[in-house]
Amino acid sequence: MNSIGIIANPASGKDIRRLVSHATVIDNNEKINIVERVILGAQQNGVKKVYMMPDAYNMGYRVMDKLQTSGELRCDIEVFDFYKVDGVEDTYNAVRGMNEKNVGCIVTLGGDGTNRAVAKDINEIPLIAISTGTNNVYPDMIEGTLAGIAASVVASGKFEKDLYAKKDKIIEIFYENASKDIALIDAVISRDLFLGSRAIWLIENIEKIIVARSHPASIGFSSVVGSKIIITEEDDFGAYVTVDKNQPRVLTAMAAGIVLPIGTEEPVILGFNDEYQFTAFGRGTIALDGEREIEFHKDQTFTFKVSRNGPIHVDIKKAIEVGQMNGFFKVNK
Amino acid sequence: MKLSNENIIEMYTKMIRIRKFENRAMNLFAEGQIGGFVHLYIGEEAVATGVCSSLRPDDYITSTHRGHGHIIAKGGDLKYMMAELFGKETGYCKGKGGSMHIADATKGILGANGIVGAGHNIACGAGLAFQYKGTDQVCACFFGDASTNQSTFHEGLNLASTWKLPVVFVCENNGYGISVSQARHQNITDISQRAVAYNIPGITVDGNDVFAVYEAVNEAVARARKGQGPTLIECKTYRWRGHFEGDPTVYRPVEELEQWKKKDPIPRVEKYILENNVMTQAELDQLNTDIDVLVEEAVDFALDSKMPDVASAVEDVYTDIVEEGRTR
Amino acid sequence: MRELTYGQGIKEGMRIKMLENPDVCIFGEDVGLFGGCFGVTAGLFEEFGEKRVRDTPISEGAIIGAAVGSAAVGLRPIPELMFVDFATVGMDQLVNQAAKMRYMFGGKLNLPMVVRLPSGGGVAAAAQHSQSLEAWFTHVPGLKVVYPSNAQDAIGLMLTAIDDDNPVIYLENKTLYAMPGEVEDEVKPIPFGKANIKKEGSDVTIISYGKQVYDALKAAELLAKDGIDAEVIDLRSLYPLDKEAIVESVKKTHKVVLVSEEAKRGAYTGDVAAMIAEECFYECDAPIKRVGALNCPIPFSSVLESYVLPSAEDVVQAVKSLF
Repeated sequence: MNSIGIIANPASGKDIRRLVSHATVIDNNEKINIVERVILGAQQNGVKKVYMMPDAYNMGYRVMDKLQTSGELRCDIEVFDFYKVDGVEDTYNAVRGMNEKNVGCIVTLGGDGTNRAVAKDINEIPLIAISTGTNNVYPDMIEGTLAGIAASVVASGKFEKDLYAKKDKIIEIFYENASKDIALIDAVISRDLFLGSRAIWLIENIEKIIVARSHPASIGFSSVVGSKIIITEEDDFGAYVTVDKNQPRVLTAMAAGIVLPIGTEEPVILGFNDEYQFTAFGRGTIALDGEREIEFHKDQTFTFKVSRNGPIHVDIKKAIEVGQMNGFFKVNK
Repeated sequence: MKLSNENIIEMYTKMIRIRKFENRAMNLFAEGQIGGFVHLYIGEEAVATGVCSSLRPDDYITSTHRGHGHIIAKGGDLKYMMAELFGKETGYCKGKGGSMHIADATKGILGANGIVGAGHNIACGAGLAFQYKGTDQVCACFFGDASTNQSTFHEGLNLASTWKLPVVFVCENNGYGISVSQARHQNITDISQRAVAYNIPGITVDGNDVFAVYEAVNEAVARARKGQGPTLIECKTYRWRGHFEGDPTVYRPVEELEQWKKKDPIPRVEKYILENNVMTQAELDQLNTDIDVLVEEAVDFALDSKMPDVASAVEDVYTDIVEEGRTR
Repeated sequence: MRELTYGQGIKEGMRIKMLENPDVCIFGEDVGLFGGCFGVTAGLFEEFGEKRVRDTPISEGAIIGAAVGSAAVGLRPIPELMFVDFATVGMDQLVNQAAKMRYMFGGKLNLPMVVRLPSGGGVAAAAQHSQSLEAWFTHVPGLKVVYPSNAQDAIGLMLTAIDDDNPVIYLENKTLYAMPGEVEDEVKPIPFGKANIKKEGSDVTIISYGKQVYDALKAAELLAKDGIDAEVIDLRSLYPLDKEAIVESVKKTHKVVLVSEEAKRGAYTGDVAAMIAEECFYECDAPIKRVGALNCPIPFSSVLESYVLPSAEDVVQAVKSLF
């Protein structure tokens, strides 16, 4: 059956970056509106079944209720019935469930952090990422209806994936020879002492930045490296830099509304066969895609590698173009 | 964010003080040694501690009916608190307030409060006074999820945002307004969303992570001191006990409590302390023992104290008028 | 001597203290730029600036609550609510917070605040803008309640109220605002709990306050024509109450009529009457009589309103019924 999965992160868009920067606020009601538009865009083009992650705000049920009340719901919505813990584990569980249901694609509403969680277990399911988070590089700021239409093209299974999607790079982090975690865009080593409110924003605490891609026209750490070198999604390498305030400084968009002079050494390219080893100088944290995730203490050693083991990321515009060029949207009498 | 080992130990100490004080109060209530309404803070220690650790001694707080934790975190003395629970003359309120009304203005504590939502506007008043006098003090206002349905919440946020008052609104979202779950008392789950309506920053943090609360409040306090106005910080947490001692808690599933106990804020800090050699296990144990002693000293102090002279019942109504008492 | 209106008197009291003490400030509904709904604060905004004479949102809870909080940390605020009827919206802050915090906290906190509440009917403002709710406030331990009847007292009571370290409810009668009166060049603070004998007499004691002082005086004039010599007492301060002056007067006249504009049921005058019965029942040689408004909301239509509110004629009737 022609189905899609939707993971709307209820926690995105309301963290401390509303305090320490000028980050966008997206409340859960707006996420509900976006999910509605995704579903309406998708069902119009043949999607019959939508699986959703459960969450504390019951976004799935609220969407169902609204679309049933308005008489517009024609596909079947199923909110997974597992015991939710209101944490990232819910995302892992939902992605596993969507794998079992063999959905045609997964649509996420969240930021870089949300997509990082989804990417861990998504396997070969194509990913459509809509931004409702903070300082995002990975997901697209795009109208939900269009994301829904693109999802229907992908989920139809009628087109080769490489026409509209490509496998993403990721940064893989290893500790004691075992995989520890991943990042989609950037991993940052900082002297912040604990995970705390998770977001990372104090540049003076940052030691190293490892990126899978970098561009000056992005927000956050990708932009720090991007001020020296542009690394696109297509490039088969990443890079790392050492932050050093004594180096020549460049104005960089560190966070929403925050443009700061930042000095770094020249970037070191990390090819797919290279690795960067970091041995801890003392206490600190590693932030992945903008959120502190790993606390470390002195002498622990972590290895960072860039690879193309990431999710199959859908280019929404391309997917719709593929549909259009192949008559997917034609109405049959 | 800079926190020295001493800061971390101080935060841990506050949390342990709260937990042990509350556990003792729980037992004393069960034994019938203290009476009245006792609302315990067990499980929510990270919120009061994270907030009050971001404040200076000359900053103020307003508290709630569940106020013991706030008062301990702001520097309240366990002896006078315990004596107040016993209704003794040496208590913070000379036995006139009890658990729900403990205050210490010399420590910036404008009182626990028995009226849900009463603190929002009082905190605005304190903030107004700081702004008026040109000091850079702030007032942190503690309140629960259910109080955000009171008009006072909206009045307070409106006034504070319009006048840019130095107030940090701290919502302790423990999921219940007495017996009514959040889903049954409001049509939202993230109270921080309500900040949007007042054009102030509103964020949600893990209320069981003392460092997360500290970090967020620290930023909000900095904003307030700089004259940038109020902030709404929602701390998601859970009370382990019922609304009051004696509450059978039939309204919530046992699994829910068990789930939250796994997020106990205290072991999280202990783990951090040990992993990062902030203290050794022996030092940690010693600190716990010391606080046990402190709490027992408080109980002894309360037990050894006199009941108030009945004639004092008519005192303290006014600064200058004492009406006649009863002749028996 | 000079002449000031009642409203100007209230303003002068506030102004004197504002000049004297930088911690005295005014906030409330339309008290700033607009000068107050009844013009009482006119000019103060210009003189003292927005910091000290501040317009608030229409949020009675926030106005009283902000007064409580700011008084607790060192200001001496004068919040104003435009109509006493609106105090019901901010009642928690008055009754549960302002009145009780000092006591609940063991006497360790002072709340110096003066809450201005325009009261009374007679201006065709109907049921929600015309009440006399003094009994609600005098009932609550922790509040002091005063009610001036003229410009001189308005100043004197305001000076005392602002210096008082307790929450003071300062009731004003809105029909009196424009009424002129003689005022001493330098008005002294009037201590609370001191009634004013407006007219001495020997046959009956008429006790009143606020606007009804004038009904009582007019009644006394009419009664004099019938050979009844009435003593008229203006309480000025409802709590603390000048029991001594009342008892002294009753001992002299042996007859009492109490007059207020409250709905008679549960009225403050009932409490004073009970006090008289307790303290000097045997001095009374006639029942203690009360004159008040009828037990219905204040109606709009002028014929209805003047029927419901008490008048000098009602006082005369009440007095005559004792003879």
